[in-house]
Amino acid sequence: MATQELTSKDSNQQIGSTTDGSQFLTFQLGDELYGVDILRVQEIKGYTAVTRIPNTPAHIKGVLNLRGTIVPIVELRTKFGMPTIEYTMFTVIVVVVVKEKIMGLVVDAVSDVLDIDKKDIQPAPQFGAQVDVSFLNGIGKAGDKLVALLDMDKLLTDGDMHEAEKAAA
Amino acid sequence: MSTDLSHFKDAFFEESQEHLTTIEEGLLQLEQRPGDIDLLNRIFRGAHSIKGNSGMFGFSAVSQFTHKMESVLDQLRSSQMVVTVDITDLLLQSLDCLKTLIDCARTGASPDEAQVEALGARLDACQGGTATGQQRTGSTASLHAQAPDMHRYTITWMPPEYLFQRGLDPVQFIKELGGLGTVTRLTLDAGRLPALAELNPELCYLGWTLNLDTAKDLTVIEAVFDFVREDSTLTIVDNPVETHTSAVASEGTKPLGEILVETGVVSQSQLNQALSQQKKVGEILVEQKVATPEQITEALKKQSEIAAPTKKAETPSIRVDTVKIDRLINLVGELVITQSMLSDLGSRFEMSQLPVLLERVAQLERNTREIQERVMGIRMVPIGNAFSRFPRLVRDLSGKAGKKIQLILSGEETELDKTVIESIGDPLTHLVRNSADHGLEPPDERLAAGKPEQGIIRLNAFHEGGSICITVEDDGRGLNREKILAKGVKQGLIAESDKLSDEQIWMLIFKPGFSTAEKVTDVSGRGVGMDVVKRNIEGLGGTVSIKTVTGKGTTFTLKLPLTLAIIEGMTVRVGQDTYIVPLLSILESIQPKREMLKTIVGKGELVNVRGTYLPLMRLYDVFQLEPELSDPTKAILLILETEGERVAVMVDEILGQQQVVIKSMEQNFRKIEGVAGATILGDGTVGFILDVRGLLNIARQGTAKAA
Repeated sequence: MATQELTSKDSNQQIGSTTDGSQFLTFQLGDELYGVDILRVQEIKGYTAVTRIPNTPAHIKGVLNLRGTIVPIVELRTKFGMPTIEYTMFTVIVVVVVKEKIMGLVVDAVSDVLDIDKKDIQPAPQFGAQVDVSFLNGIGKAGDKLVALLDMDKLLTDGDMHEAEKAAA
Repeated sequence: MSTDLSHFKDAFFEESQEHLTTIEEGLLQLEQRPGDIDLLNRIFRGAHSIKGNSGMFGFSAVSQFTHKMESVLDQLRSSQMVVTVDITDLLLQSLDCLKTLIDCARTGASPDEAQVEALGARLDACQGGTATGQQRTGSTASLHAQAPDMHRYTITWMPPEYLFQRGLDPVQFIKELGGLGTVTRLTLDAGRLPALAELNPELCYLGWTLNLDTAKDLTVIEAVFDFVREDSTLTIVDNPVETHTSAVASEGTKPLGEILVETGVVSQSQLNQALSQQKKVGEILVEQKVATPEQITEALKKQSEIAAPTKKAETPSIRVDTVKIDRLINLVGELVITQSMLSDLGSRFEMSQLPVLLERVAQLERNTREIQERVMGIRMVPIGNAFSRFPRLVRDLSGKAGKKIQLILSGEETELDKTVIESIGDPLTHLVRNSADHGLEPPDERLAAGKPEQGIIRLNAFHEGGSICITVEDDGRGLNREKILAKGVKQGLIAESDKLSDEQIWMLIFKPGFSTAEKVTDVSGRGVGMDVVKRNIEGLGGTVSIKTVTGKGTTFTLKLPLTLAIIEGMTVRVGQDTYIVPLLSILESIQPKREMLKTIVGKGELVNVRGTYLPLMRLYDVFQLEPELSDPTKAILLILETEGERVAVMVDEILGQQQVVIKSMEQNFRKIEGVAGATILGDGTVGFILDVRGLLNIARQGTAKAA
């Protein structure tokens, strides 16, 4: 029942947010490939040191001065519960716009811009409680590559931006 | 409603605001110079513009009402009538009403029709010279969409004893009622009248009972008594002459039945039948199977939609001098030139050109800085806007308090950040009220003290260093040292043995609940105002100070930062992290000695600063940082103050003092407890500005959790 509900919700979101942008910016976290709707991406910049924000969850790395605007940076590895690694020259920050807010995602490396057909996108499979896939829009196939398509709205609003309000409520 | 039209509407509302201000200022000056035709013309033009514009947008209530004001103004202008206090009073009241009407037009709320009509009638009566309501023009009636149902009101009115002292005449009230309809019976109630020997000719002992036949709503009748309502014994019994179902005063919400009839769900007769049963209309209609529950729900929804005030978000806008914009455009032009020179240089750069490059980079810097200043300047508006409300306020206050007060404004052209201007309105109002009510003496007392009868309140604004000073000065009695001291001791704010400087004593009046006023008036005296003043001003990053000379007067000085976007800050370091502490909240910084430190229940740390124990807060504890120093005697303690509370905050090192531009954290993220905002430091990284209040909150929660 729950599965069915999720599926229908997911397919709705595909119509809502990803059909127009069937182009995805893909990036790597370890061996895995992730994709975000290219229209969400504002820019990609090399990693520079950030200022830590006191009393925030570990995956919120800090804030950065992006040409005069203060932009929060999310460590995607920590957010997904992956082990952190040393930053390399390939480590970049993908700057995305989520609900008119600008945020940066630290990823291991950007790889490619891929065209993924709608028919090649299948709903995210369910793994049970151990693996949280609620922030996935689906899984895309591009050639022999498998791309986990991220739902930015879910990924970066639920837990991060509204924490303060939740705590206050 | 197309978006285009609503765009023009915004312009209309903004323009109306200006006209209203012009009219108000004009009316107030008119009292001083009743014969000034230029002034009258100016007022007339303002009213005329509002009338014309509101008509264009279909705000008929506004235009009709303005028309009435305009007629009166026209007669004044053509010298058919003379300016009297009564007329200016009436016009000022009408102006207030007009403001409300325009506000209602903006928000879509329904205005208080009773008041509008009452004032409209008075305006009509004023120009006609007679007070009969029968001459009411058709436009007034059209304000009232309901079909006229005749009512017979039985009104029993026992006015308050002070009626005459307020300058009110009961006959006026009865006449005004007469203007609303026909008074069929009028009886006098002299039951309160004492024996002649005890009779005070200044008090009103009489009461009246009258029957009034009119088509007006109950609210219209009640509005007549608005000014005396509080202390009067007033009963108004409504005996509808014709029993009509919709005789209940409509409050701007359409009755459900009407909506159902309009939408064709039921007929009028079905509705009447339903209403006669005095149950919920909806239930009955469903029972009678003339409407389905869905239809009722739909209609109820519609009703609540009508009832809910459709409040449109007011987009804040700002009016900027074209001169300012032109200068900015010039500067941008220069910037573009500098930029093209630089890129030209960059495309074929040789090391020999290094001096040229440096020169151009310096030029770029200059351009940027200038543009930054100018753009900041756009947010600056003259403080006169905030001052403009005071002539009226002082006029009303002087009338209420029976004092003669002259208000002198100066420095209106001093420019201040728009946000600051918006936020200082209330504190200033409190201060002016306070001066008028407590500061200035009544005329007889002034004369006895050898001062002119008329008291003076002076409002001044000027630049001083990097901040703006606003002074509110009166030439009244000054603060009473002994009285404040006694009151302070009585309220337990200070101990009797405390040795306080004058300054410290004056500051007592900003404590919540503090008031030396012997009696509480509706103007002030409850002891809430001053504490709000201080809090608001501090909220803006400003300070309040008092200077007073007994018998000579008091001066309140508000010192405010020029803009909210830049603050003076102290940069401090904790481990690897840099934080900025607002300079205004720092009292001093110390390096404590071992014997100054004490603990309570083993955990709570205190530091003894010249006899006062302050809680010690380690910033690295609160923010979970890795400090370089954990020994307070080696580190630095900043003594911070917020809202009268003091705390010692421990940091590793003080780096220096600098101006910082506040950047919003909420724009892309959210509020962080203990952080007021962020800024960009010299090396391009982000630094956080501490919020002292928030720090205290975190520390408290921490201790609560630990306990």
